[in-house]
Amino acid sequence: MKVRREKAERLADEELMPLIGEKDPAAFEVFYDRHGGAAYSLAYRIVGERAVAEDVTQEAFISIWRSGARFDQARGSVRSWMLSIVRNRAIDVLRSKAGRAPKLSFDDDAILEARPSEEFTDEEALRRETAQELRGALGELPNDQSKVIELAYFAGFSHSEIAEVLGVPLGTVKGRMRLGLEKIRGQLAEGLA
Amino acid sequence: MSEKDHDLRREEIAAYLLDSLEPAEATDLERHLEGCVECRTELEWLRPAIQALPESVERVDAPPALRARVMDEVQADAKRARAAREGTGAAGKEGFWSRVLGDRGPLGLRPVAGVAVLALVVAAVAGYAIGGGGSGGGSSTVVANAGKAPGVTARVVSNGDSGTLRLANVREIPSDKVLQAWVRRGDKVVSAHALFVPDNKGVATATIPNMEGVEVVMVTAEPRGGSAQPTSEPIVSVSMPQ
Repeated sequence: MKVRREKAERLADEELMPLIGEKDPAAFEVFYDRHGGAAYSLAYRIVGERAVAEDVTQEAFISIWRSGARFDQARGSVRSWMLSIVRNRAIDVLRSKAGRAPKLSFDDDAILEARPSEEFTDEEALRRETAQELRGALGELPNDQSKVIELAYFAGFSHSEIAEVLGVPLGTVKGRMRLGLEKIRGQLAEGLA
Repeated sequence: MSEKDHDLRREEIAAYLLDSLEPAEATDLERHLEGCVECRTELEWLRPAIQALPESVERVDAPPALRARVMDEVQADAKRARAAREGTGAAGKEGFWSRVLGDRGPLGLRPVAGVAVLALVVAAVAGYAIGGGGSGGGSSTVVANAGKAPGVTARVVSNGDSGTLRLANVREIPSDKVLQAWVRRGDKVVSAHALFVPDNKGVATATIPNMEGVEVVMVTAEPRGGSAQPTSEPIVSVSMPQ
């Protein structure tokens, strides 16, 4: 029995997953509406081109749909899982491009071109507020720490590639990664105070 | 494991979470994590910082047309699935997938007859060397049959829960195709959530999120966006050590 859209909207993500596995379009539509914006934003942040970001987002969602939404709750939230699929797909696209130029700043053109929504739900508003706070936390990192995190997570560079790009020893890259993540984690623990 | 080795491994946890370690390094670290409570605790403590990174991205409105395209595909798939369940669209098994799966029904697996295998590479398994690893882990390196796919290698590094699939020396594939990874567990073949393409050096890498119980990792060429079921014979097939 397929669930209707109104019923699906009342379900948590974890409850939607089995329905998506049973090929329920209404459940998947709700899933897309909840997370499609974040997925597209992340894809755009990584690939930097709207058309490519659309392809990445579409492929990620269709792969989730077609593979039966094999979500493992032990791995974290559905949203984190979905975003990791989008990130991996976007990085695959980046890696497939020859002569890519790494983006070295959080204040890149992609962000400057970002267009805020006119209207959004309370939940979406909260997410955008949280995102803003997270960006603030990242912005407070020393530049050398944010740069290695940027290159690894958003550009898909290995630590040895980063060491080469920045001209610093491998151990320095690892140390900066650790310090940067520890600071972000510390701020999360303090409620991004 | 000396204290110095432990400190070195601990230093790699952030790089591991950022997915920036080389596969062999990641495997080494995961082996260490199996026996080191302190490092596992640190990894789990740091994990929310990684999960925060995609959430920090400035929101950009997704085009409504994107939603329409996604849902069009979903509705079309659902329609096909309904038709298959009702027996109106079922096709007989034949070819490779039939040989692999016989009469067993792998989640409605429906091989497509007559699909031309891409003039890409056809790698047959020649043998494998098993690396170290814990339960469900270890790495398997498979070298393609030199007669059919000279120089092509496929390697799956299984790190317990997840795995990294790396193909090397793959020639360019058509722009309307992607590589899709599949995993076989018993008589079930399912997509591994991994669509990927080779880079300009002929290297194609994909992450397989769930390696639990996987017996064989396969790669096929599929239309962009991937397929619900394999539509061509595998380019590469890697048997995992059990």
